[in-house]
Amino acid sequence: MKLKKIPTGYLFIAPFIIGFLVFGIYPVLNTIGLSFTNTTLMSKTSEFIGLDNFKRLFADAVFIKAVGNTWLIWSLNFIPQIGFALLLSVMFTNARLNIKAKGIWRAVFYLPNLMMPAAVTALFGAIFSYYGPANQLLVRAGFLSEALRFFDSVAFARGMVVFINWWTWFGQTMIIVMAGMTSIPLPLYEAAMVDGASAWQMFTKITLPLLKPILVFIFVTALTGGMQMFDIPYLLTDGRGAPESSIQTSVLLMFLKFNSSKGHIGAASSVGVLIFIMTTVCALGIFYFLRDKEMDDAKPAKKSFFKKNTEESQS
Amino acid sequence: MNSYKLGTYVLRFFSYILLFILLLIVIVPIWLLVVNATRSTTEIQQGISLFPSTHIVENYSFLGGRGLDLPRGFVNSLFLATASVVVSVYFGLLTAYGIVVYNFPGKKLFSNFIVVLVMIPMQLSIIGFYQYMSKLGLTDNYAALILPQIASAGTVFFAKQYLESLIVWDLIDAGRIDGASELGIFHSIMLPIAVPGAATMGIFAFVGSWNNFFTPFILISSKDKYTLPMLIQTLRGDVYRTEYGAIYLGLAITVVPIIILYAIFSRYIVSGIAMGAVKE
Repeated sequence: MKLKKIPTGYLFIAPFIIGFLVFGIYPVLNTIGLSFTNTTLMSKTSEFIGLDNFKRLFADAVFIKAVGNTWLIWSLNFIPQIGFALLLSVMFTNARLNIKAKGIWRAVFYLPNLMMPAAVTALFGAIFSYYGPANQLLVRAGFLSEALRFFDSVAFARGMVVFINWWTWFGQTMIIVMAGMTSIPLPLYEAAMVDGASAWQMFTKITLPLLKPILVFIFVTALTGGMQMFDIPYLLTDGRGAPESSIQTSVLLMFLKFNSSKGHIGAASSVGVLIFIMTTVCALGIFYFLRDKEMDDAKPAKKSFFKKNTEESQS
Repeated sequence: MNSYKLGTYVLRFFSYILLFILLLIVIVPIWLLVVNATRSTTEIQQGISLFPSTHIVENYSFLGGRGLDLPRGFVNSLFLATASVVVSVYFGLLTAYGIVVYNFPGKKLFSNFIVVLVMIPMQLSIIGFYQYMSKLGLTDNYAALILPQIASAGTVFFAKQYLESLIVWDLIDAGRIDGASELGIFHSIMLPIAVPGAATMGIFAFVGSWNNFFTPFILISSKDKYTLPMLIQTLRGDVYRTEYGAIYLGLAITVVPIIILYAIFSRYIVSGIAMGAVKE
């Protein structure tokens, strides 16, 4: 028998594939398996109960509300996040405005992204607590006659989760958008200028279309992250999404089922599976429908150009 | 021409106003955090100040006095983050090197698969992961947090973009002529050249692990293994409810090391952010 030599590439990617099978795929399959059972952490036995967990979830207003909360909070955060990113990138790349110290502005706006979400949430929680600085300032300045319990308000609690998310992400998004803008070839703008295009026309006709792949990337990764939102809503109020479960996100609900007195991991898994399917379908769907098909065709050509170039320069 | 110039000044004026407002929104909360960490609870209740006070030691001893072992949490977080960095960066580069340098059946499929993985919410399988780890006896064990980093799709994605712009074929060929093994070439030729990119990847992996709350919170149960974000959760508890100075100090301790790291490496960090997303 003749053994074909295993391609060396396989040896290099083997650890990743093994690691992925063991720590990536298996947990996913296990979660899916658990979602069809009534397993709890307390009992040794568990039964296969088919789709009962899922039927219960769809009949449960709490679950529907949690999914709705997640989408609401995510969209309210994402729109200003991408809006500010676009505005700031235009400002920083605009030759007419010629903003000074770009590097410093960018570095400062990115800082929140590196800070621990748990700590940031606790910080804003403290600032807006009953005895916190926000109340002190507002009462002393005469805007309020007495201190407010901010987190008793549904609108405020949701607004705070949205704000903390925005605060954490707008700088990061700005830097990615800006990198995309600066990679757009200048002659395109020069040609447009010669043709008498306005700044707005150049933005909508050149910048936005060429930014599309990056915007799709940002949208998809932000969506995937947003659907898994947990730290901020969990730590901001009582850990159950108070007031009135208004900031109870899907993953928070999953955690509550997991952490219930009996540890309903079967039911918790079914929440995980549903959010997983929903997010993956949305993310991959958007990615495949909106990504630039032309980019893929252009890539191999670019690569061979690059290789040829290095070969020439070294010979 | 004059009205154009005037327009430029007006636009510039409003741009700087916007930038300053955003600057305040970013800086003021962080500054309040640092300042309040040094003020006593009484001072904090008396009013806002933008200047530090002298009660940092007092606040710290209060934290320790109520059984919150911050130094321990700090060491735990540091260990976990360092181990995660080493594992994810090494295996990330190894995998990316395999994709970039070699041709093999399924290569295109595999690299597309990596891109897809970046967009899939893998964290949602945490319940199945937890049950699986408890069967293996690995809950409450850092191995359950570190080993999955072998297959960090984000790091591979980044490493692939980086290596594509870095690979020098002549060096690899020279290594082969000298009789080095393929893995030997990766270790002795590629890794040393890739240090700058590895550092950038490492910083992101470090911050990611340092800030991660959800996974350790689900998996780790014994108090002496708590990481810093888990201790923050404890800080919100009733014992500390009215000790504002101590709470702010506890938060500051978790955040300040990252700010210092950022102050030193901000150039590399900022230029590294877009690397995964933007194809040069």
